[in-house]
Amino acid sequence: MQLLKYIIIIAICASIITWLMPWYMAAAVAFVVTVNAKITPGKAFLAGAGGVGLTWLVVALYRDIPNEHILSGRMAKVLGLPNGFLFLLITIILGAIVGGMAGWSGGVMNKAFRK
Amino acid sequence: MRRLLAILPLILTAAVVYILDKPMGSIPALGRLLDPMNGCWASAEPTGKDFNQTIQLQGAQQPVKIWFDERMVPHIEAANDHDLYMAQGYVHAYFRLWQMDLQTRAAGGRVSEVLGEKAVDFDRLQRRKGMVYGAENSLKAMEADPRSKGMLDAYTEGINQYIYSLNYRSLPLEYKMMGFKPEPWTNLKCALLLKYMADDLTGYTEDIQLTILRNRLKQNNDMFNANMLFDRVFAERNRGTVPVIPTDTVPQPASLKAPVAPADSIMCVPLTGEDFAVNENEGKGSNNWALSGQRTKSGAPILCNDPHLGLNLPSLWYEMQLHAPGVNVYGVSLPGSPGIIIGFNDNISWGFTNNYRDVKDFYAIKEASANKYWFAGKELTYTKRIEEIGIKGMPAYKDTVRYTIHGPLIYDAHFLAPGKLKIPLALTWMAHRPSNEILSIYLLNRSSNYEQYVTAIQQFLCPAQNMLYADVQGNIALWGQGQFINKWKGQGRYIMDGSDSSTLWGQNIPVRENPHSLNPAQGYLASANQTVTDTTYPYWYNGYFYEFRSWRINQVLQRTTAATVQDMFALQQDVFSVLAANVLPVFLLHMPMQTLSNKEREWLQHLAGWDYRLTKDSKAATVFMVWWYYAYGKLATVGRPDDLKMSPERLMELVTGRDDIPYILDEDILYSSFKQAADSLEKLKKANRVEWYHTKNTTVKHLTKLPAFSYGDLAVGGWGNTVNAVKGDHGPSWRMVVQMSKGIEAYGTYPGGQSGNPGSKYYATFLDKWVKGEYYRLNFIPATAKPNDKDIKYTWTIQP
Repeated sequence: MQLLKYIIIIAICASIITWLMPWYMAAAVAFVVTVNAKITPGKAFLAGAGGVGLTWLVVALYRDIPNEHILSGRMAKVLGLPNGFLFLLITIILGAIVGGMAGWSGGVMNKAFRK
Repeated sequence: MRRLLAILPLILTAAVVYILDKPMGSIPALGRLLDPMNGCWASAEPTGKDFNQTIQLQGAQQPVKIWFDERMVPHIEAANDHDLYMAQGYVHAYFRLWQMDLQTRAAGGRVSEVLGEKAVDFDRLQRRKGMVYGAENSLKAMEADPRSKGMLDAYTEGINQYIYSLNYRSLPLEYKMMGFKPEPWTNLKCALLLKYMADDLTGYTEDIQLTILRNRLKQNNDMFNANMLFDRVFAERNRGTVPVIPTDTVPQPASLKAPVAPADSIMCVPLTGEDFAVNENEGKGSNNWALSGQRTKSGAPILCNDPHLGLNLPSLWYEMQLHAPGVNVYGVSLPGSPGIIIGFNDNISWGFTNNYRDVKDFYAIKEASANKYWFAGKELTYTKRIEEIGIKGMPAYKDTVRYTIHGPLIYDAHFLAPGKLKIPLALTWMAHRPSNEILSIYLLNRSSNYEQYVTAIQQFLCPAQNMLYADVQGNIALWGQGQFINKWKGQGRYIMDGSDSSTLWGQNIPVRENPHSLNPAQGYLASANQTVTDTTYPYWYNGYFYEFRSWRINQVLQRTTAATVQDMFALQQDVFSVLAANVLPVFLLHMPMQTLSNKEREWLQHLAGWDYRLTKDSKAATVFMVWWYYAYGKLATVGRPDDLKMSPERLMELVTGRDDIPYILDEDILYSSFKQAADSLEKLKKANRVEWYHTKNTTVKHLTKLPAFSYGDLAVGGWGNTVNAVKGDHGPSWRMVVQMSKGIEAYGTYPGGQSGNPGSKYYATFLDKWVKGEYYRLNFIPATAKPNDKDIKYTWTIQP
């Protein structure tokens, strides 16, 4: 339950912040949230990955569906992928990895400095 | 220690983020690019996007309305010229900004700034050609006239207002992929774009190759053959031409006397060279023709135009209507330039084809003491121009370009000419001279009769065009318009001796004396890049002319009566090959059939009963064209320089015995080239690509050349030697047919779409119709009418 809470907090904060600021601020959000959370580094990774991954999934779908996959199809071809769905998947995986690493960093730091 | 180690994941994460935020070579910054919020995903335009909007534009004087129709063609209605061109600039930038940016960078030799070191040689050549120098000269002329200056200032302001409204998220996709940002637009960029067109249309030259050939023949003491070759095979104008200006036209008497030609060694400097790049020069160009009412069913003139240019996405053209007091014009514009370039208004219509008279000449420069060169027995000092070429990720490269009395040294020891020529070559080019084509477009868009039209086009100096005209009063006319020089016979065909003052370009031929025809007896006018005039035209010129399409168009139009717009569509789609119809029977007659293998004979059988049409599915077309490709390569070559080939037209005339030069067709070459062709055809068969359209593989390429943003293997027939001149990467870039009846009836299409965004559904909307040879009825709103509500899909309101 706690993990889900952090995922949602990170997702909401990351959406707002990256609307206004560059993409990597999503990682900063994941770090700031997990460094202040009482969870294990493993769970912090999942919180970051889940939070940022969720944001990227929702935003990408929000762009992709009304576009009828025109852009994702073309970008997939640029990267040599067979279809736009894989491009969407790669996007989400990238967001999840960056978010996860940032969350993990926060979790490790929190554990080390916890009294 | 434990706490110290705890920082490591953070450092690792920071490193990963850093890497994903930095472009690596040609790979863009992946984190930034894939970010769904701000990256490439932001260019995913909803297919049902509501384009209605109100825009606040600083500097607009009155409100402006822009209606978009079903095809996203904007109809701009403004209260004055300033607002009209400001809105046009804004609309161009809104739909085509990246393309405008890249094309003007290419024109001005600034591609290395965004692509890095690999583009430096390209940029150097652009600078050394004097592209920026020419654009600066023209800009002075444009800004000296209040009409063109006002037009440019407003247009530039409109583009910049759009640029300033952008943030990273709203940047066009290609900026994100290539990792650069738009910079403020300037009037100079408009001038550069026009020089880009001038370079595309007047840049072709064979001067260096012809000089090498002449020198070789001279060394062999073979002046008889040399003269014969240059008079008959590499003639300055084609012999069998049906010229642009009908032969019964009485030319205007020359007001200038022909200058006296200097000695042969000054007309053509002695030199040798090697390693020339291969010249591809088969049938590019454009068509236009107009029928007078006597040849049409409606009794009103019909004007047709299909300019053949590079097939690119975003398309070179952007379709629109501009309406303000004194102007109501529809047609295609060039994003990066104000006004309508080809189109029509309530009274007149016009179309362009390239004129191809040679306006680009080379001079061998004799260097003197330091920083000086010889001219007319004196040492003159070079004017130096330092060209600083910015390179992405590296320090800038400084190239010193030396200017002579003739023009810039395009090639010297620091930048070798093709053939590794050691001597410095200076370039004199009409595109260097100040000219105000923008004013010409301004006046043309507002012309309502023939006299106004003639006045308008007098300002159009380079690139020279065959400018076709038709009006609602029933007139048709054509001008071979541009600025030309009163040359001595032979001037500029070869590299001239730049130290001799007789080689300097002389007086301008008054533009009013340019070849033209108004309402000719034949009832039509047609140009397809063929030779402009017959020999009654009093001034000497040479050029790079093409005849196949002209022969066919004239053949069809001569027997055309009661023409409809549908007949004109059919002629624009015509794929009958005059080349094949003439050459193939002779080839077959001389082919040593008994030596062919069974397989080869099978291929030859495809040609039996062929109608000489290069239709998309034709296998015979493939067999002939592949055979012709190999045979032409050998039959048209006259030895070194081996990239210099006689034109296919000339070869056809020799092969078919239309000329009085005795010519013996070499049967060995016919046979060996057919063997080669059969080998290639076997490969095509294995790949299942024998149909003509597969073989030629017409591709509309995105400017980045990314296949993902391009459309290849388009199912369309034709080639450079047919009226429908669709080649691999060149072809009809805008097809237009306008009937000048009461209530103008206009049709058109181009191989692209109104949006430059590969993530938009409007990116290549018109391509399908273009491939099928179909047309849209153009939604022209007459000056006195209001648009129909049912035709308006979206409305933009611009508020001051």
